[in-house]
Amino acid sequence: MTNTPMPPPDPRNVQGMILRGYTHPYSCHMLFTFAGRPGAAGFIRALLPYLQSAQDWGDNKPARMLNISLTYNGILTFEPALAGQFPTEFQQGPWSQGSQASLGDTGPSDPSLWWNGYAKDAIHGIVHVYGNTADALDSLVAIVSQAAQANGVSEFLPLKSGNGRLEEYAPLRDFIHFGYHDGIDNPALGWPANPASTDPSDANNFLIGYPGSAFSPGPETGAAGKFAKDGCYNAFRILYQDVKAFDQFLTDNAPKVVAAIGGSQDQAMEWLAAKLVGRWRNGSPLILSPDAPDPKTSDATKFGYSGDTAALKCPFAAHSRVANPRDEPTFPGTDTPVPRLLRRGMPYGAPPAPPDYDGERGLIGLFLCGALAGQFEQLYSWINVNNFSDVFSPNLDTQDALIANRIPPPASDPSFTIPIPNGNPIKIPSLPQFIVTRGTAYGLLPSMATLRSIAGP
Amino acid sequence: MANPLTLYVPIKQDPITQAEAKLAYANFVSSVQHGLDGSHIVHYARLALIPNPGGTGILAICLITTFDGPMNPYLKFFWNNGALQKVFSGLAAIALNPPNPPVTDLTGFENFINNNNLNNPNDLYNTYPQTVRQIQGAFPHPA
Repeated sequence: MTNTPMPPPDPRNVQGMILRGYTHPYSCHMLFTFAGRPGAAGFIRALLPYLQSAQDWGDNKPARMLNISLTYNGILTFEPALAGQFPTEFQQGPWSQGSQASLGDTGPSDPSLWWNGYAKDAIHGIVHVYGNTADALDSLVAIVSQAAQANGVSEFLPLKSGNGRLEEYAPLRDFIHFGYHDGIDNPALGWPANPASTDPSDANNFLIGYPGSAFSPGPETGAAGKFAKDGCYNAFRILYQDVKAFDQFLTDNAPKVVAAIGGSQDQAMEWLAAKLVGRWRNGSPLILSPDAPDPKTSDATKFGYSGDTAALKCPFAAHSRVANPRDEPTFPGTDTPVPRLLRRGMPYGAPPAPPDYDGERGLIGLFLCGALAGQFEQLYSWINVNNFSDVFSPNLDTQDALIANRIPPPASDPSFTIPIPNGNPIKIPSLPQFIVTRGTAYGLLPSMATLRSIAGP
Repeated sequence: MANPLTLYVPIKQDPITQAEAKLAYANFVSSVQHGLDGSHIVHYARLALIPNPGGTGILAICLITTFDGPMNPYLKFFWNNGALQKVFSGLAAIALNPPNPPVTDLTGFENFINNNNLNNPNDLYNTYPQTVRQIQGAFPHPA
């Protein structure tokens, strides 16, 4: 293999949200069904003036802008000849048996209950609208809505609450409803100077059409490869967060913590919350701040788990240790290199006012990757069954403490063990279900050139 | 939990293809041994030659495996392993209806496997729920 660096992508051809995390505090994510190619093309054409690329905007931050995801059926509306040329999981959708073998959406998360009763395969496009202000967002949402109506494109309203749209709850920005600081760590998206680089946070693992990735983002060749070049997949997942169940869990189990390590009930609840995630609610990682949250470490990303071999600081099944194992040794071959995701999510719905927990709230999850199966689904399978590293031996069947679907035993073990120094571990026999999947769609964020091409003149 | 893959590939009837099928069958275990050993997720794998109804010649090749976990995320392991990729590419090359477009990347490989797989994750009966790694941990292979 030559050591000549491959040319990097042109940011002007890549949709903005892929290469940069937006800081616009207002967003709305609108779902659409296309009736046919002419209308769909007219719809996309009307949105092009607001379509944001990854080009540096310098001091001219757009007040409003949007990005566009197309599902497989959405792509076929424009290019029916591409049928069968995309990865299987993208063609079949996240509700398919193949994808559900990883995602494990059961019970109230069952795909038959998704999307407020709308047909899952009728989602053709998702328009991600962003604004610096509420007015800026509303004005662009109105433009998108009018463009849809003018072109015979129908909008889905995926929520039963509010106006039915997926709108970011701006006051909670960078936090989730369980109270944790969010959005701290994302892949660096470097461009490999050496084509033999296997760093899973390099951008060639997320953009389609570049060699050297162990995850082989595709399609790489043919007409579909040309269509997908400089694109990135978007696992769009709406996750209801059951704050009542979460708060109740902390209340119920804090006495065990008090009995084991002392302190007050409130301190024990915070300690337990930190052990579930691997970070205190302010963001401080347990590895760096094992005893208490520390403002100095609340955004820390430079740490590893290899020194915490007995999980005395951070439980093995803590959410952040499973979803991003860092330097944790994973099984070679099948589970190495560790996949990464670009997380572009935001909260929706107002927080509860305990003891009143009524209301719809959760996470609008945009999990970007170059390979839905090799990155997104693989990480989700690890979340549902911790089988990727010897640290979970011998049973290799525990679950992510926060976001796993509680698949019944013997497929997984819903217990949670918290080792403590100089004492017996605290063992919680069965973790509750904290998350309910409201819907999932697999989209492609096509390149700017592809979107212009399908929009037509 | 284990999942099934039953890859059923009708093959061409010309003498060269028929000979290649017999060769693939004869060499199957040796050609996949190292790669599958390294996966630690495959319980069993075997290749069967399905005879023509008339009794002469081979109608199809059938690759039957039982493996741990979901299939799609782990196909990249098989694609990235040279020896295993060669086995699967060999099957695609002698197929009566070869993949179109030809398999040149992971996407094509994934589609070839899924398009010719006769089973779904819910199809399998299990006597035991343990994975290969759990079993190997409980019964270490003698040095």
